[in-house]
Amino acid sequence: MRILVVEDDPDLRRQLVEALSFAGYAVDAAADGEEGYFLGDTEPYDLVILDLGLPKMDGISILEQWRRAGRKYPVIILTARDRWSDKVAGMDAGADDYVAKPFHMEELLARVRAQVRRASGHATSEIECGPLRLDTKTARVSYEGKPIKLTSHEYRLLAYLMHHNGRVVSRTELVEHLYDQDFDRDSNTIEVFIGRLRKKIPGDMIKTVRGLGYRLTAEPDEV
Amino acid sequence: MRFNSLAFRLFAAASVWTFLVLPVAGFAIYSLYRQDVSESFDDRIRTLLTVILADSVERAGFEPGMPGDLGEPLFQLTNSGWYWQIRPTGGAQGRRLASPSLANASLPSPYESQVEPDDQGTRWMSSRGPANEPVRIAEMVYVLGDEATGPRYSFTVAGPLEWLDERIAVFRTRLAIALALAGAALLAVTFLQVRYGLLPLRAIERRLAAIRSGEATSLEGELPVEIEPLQHELNALIKSNQDIIDRARTQVGNLAHALKTPLAVIINEANEDKSPFARKVAEQASLMRDQVSYYLDRARMAARAGTIGRVSEVRPIAEGLQRTLERIYGDKGIRVLLDCPAGVRFQGERQDLEEMLGNVLDNACKWARTKVYFRAATRPATTRGGRVRLIVTVDDDGPGLTEQERARIGKRGQRLDETKPGTGLGLSIVNDLVHSYGGRIEFSASRHGGLNVRLDLPAA
Repeated sequence: MRILVVEDDPDLRRQLVEALSFAGYAVDAAADGEEGYFLGDTEPYDLVILDLGLPKMDGISILEQWRRAGRKYPVIILTARDRWSDKVAGMDAGADDYVAKPFHMEELLARVRAQVRRASGHATSEIECGPLRLDTKTARVSYEGKPIKLTSHEYRLLAYLMHHNGRVVSRTELVEHLYDQDFDRDSNTIEVFIGRLRKKIPGDMIKTVRGLGYRLTAEPDEV
Repeated sequence: MRFNSLAFRLFAAASVWTFLVLPVAGFAIYSLYRQDVSESFDDRIRTLLTVILADSVERAGFEPGMPGDLGEPLFQLTNSGWYWQIRPTGGAQGRRLASPSLANASLPSPYESQVEPDDQGTRWMSSRGPANEPVRIAEMVYVLGDEATGPRYSFTVAGPLEWLDERIAVFRTRLAIALALAGAALLAVTFLQVRYGLLPLRAIERRLAAIRSGEATSLEGELPVEIEPLQHELNALIKSNQDIIDRARTQVGNLAHALKTPLAVIINEANEDKSPFARKVAEQASLMRDQVSYYLDRARMAARAGTIGRVSEVRPIAEGLQRTLERIYGDKGIRVLLDCPAGVRFQGERQDLEEMLGNVLDNACKWARTKVYFRAATRPATTRGGRVRLIVTVDDDGPGLTEQERARIGKRGQRLDETKPGTGLGLSIVNDLVHSYGGRIEFSASRHGGLNVRLDLPAA
């Protein structure tokens, strides 16, 4: 899951990046409106956290332009302007949630999880795929009730596959959504982590669809 | 019309003028008339005297002749007031002639009373007639025959002064009535004139009321040139008032932005660390956060207090909140059902109404299972002189509150000054706002299962 943070305050930006990275997301950050708009317009994010009072370009216009260009990722507005008129204006511009400063990081993380889940069509914080179960709240994975220990990179990969289970996910998509923009896209880390996950999860649930990518499914091979 | 009014001043000034001028004019007209009537009375007497003298002297030898018909029947009627008399005077002996009206009486002689003659040789005096009535007497003394030795005769005519006084009295009465009517008419016209002249002021009063009630934002329309400067000044004042409020709002917003981001940083940083120092910082920062939002809300309200009235349509605000909340609570699948006819308007700031409705609806969405019911309607004034009220009710189908819990949130609203910031219900600011608009907020059990919040606010 890849998230864009657009926030002009350097301290708050650093905190957000740290907290989101720690929670297992790939995070890009932008310090001003123009950079934020450009990143959101060109990279396939799973969610954007957007400050409204930004230098160079204000949050509302950025959001409106993204939506007009057909960008569908959920956007959480993070702002000190907490009047209802600001909230209505933000939501009308195309935001999905609104968090007023100052806020508690846990609160924001919960909203982020909820929006990511909602965007991939899951109603609860726990995602199941056959015997495999992912608790987005606690970042725990279990198989038939038995916990599986994963590294943070493994968790990210599995979480993305779980959110999109049943669907074929290409290698490019995985790279784009799991790593921030500085990641070397030509490396074969994805294959390495898929290999590790297959070893940790019984039942051969991660299928390789030749030439297309990977698919997480609880159904047996349809041969 | 009160004493301390322009209308009264104008009217009083005009009345004083009327009551001063009319009697003076009346007196002048009366004097002129009196003089005129007296003169023509004297002229008539003189004419009669001249006719009698000429007639008598024409028929005379050494004795005066009997004058012919004078065409005045009152000379025939006894004690009529009209008399003539011819008699010798200055010790001369001779015939005495008199009008039948005089009978055996005689008229006093100005000549013998040593009255000087006027330029036509006539002597005048006022005296008493045979019936002791006041008369005007004219006398000419004429010598018959030789100027030096001839006998001296007195020719006298008297006319009744009563007749003259009567004429004057009648005129005086008529004049008084006419002048009184004219005075009354003048006062009436003055009254209308004052009303008409002050009509623009009434118009201003109406338009100012419209500004206060929020139907207009400035004093518009053609006004008389004398009031135009006032109009400009007033509009400038209204605008500057509005500018000050807008500026205060902007600055409060800027302050909020400036304070809240660093606070967010401090809180998050402190929460990362588990040391006692960090815990203290986190605790104090949270307190600061609550204080900041509490006092920013108060500052916004203070900035609004005393503003000139504005009107806000309820429906678009409710629709905006509905869109926003249904999205924010999209996870729970909350539906906000609106029952709000167009044309229902709130007397006050749009932002304030948005804040009240937003917080109440947000609270309802938080507790609701699936549905929140929003209803807004105007209620006509119940008492004479009462104002139209805007009644908003918000219901949810959640678990609701017990009677004790409801009483507690109700109580918090009454003790505004003791309200601690950040009550956690989001209703503290609603309470403050509702009370600042002289409204009421009530909580009861909803028929949909949850809480029913009823706001009673001024409508427009």
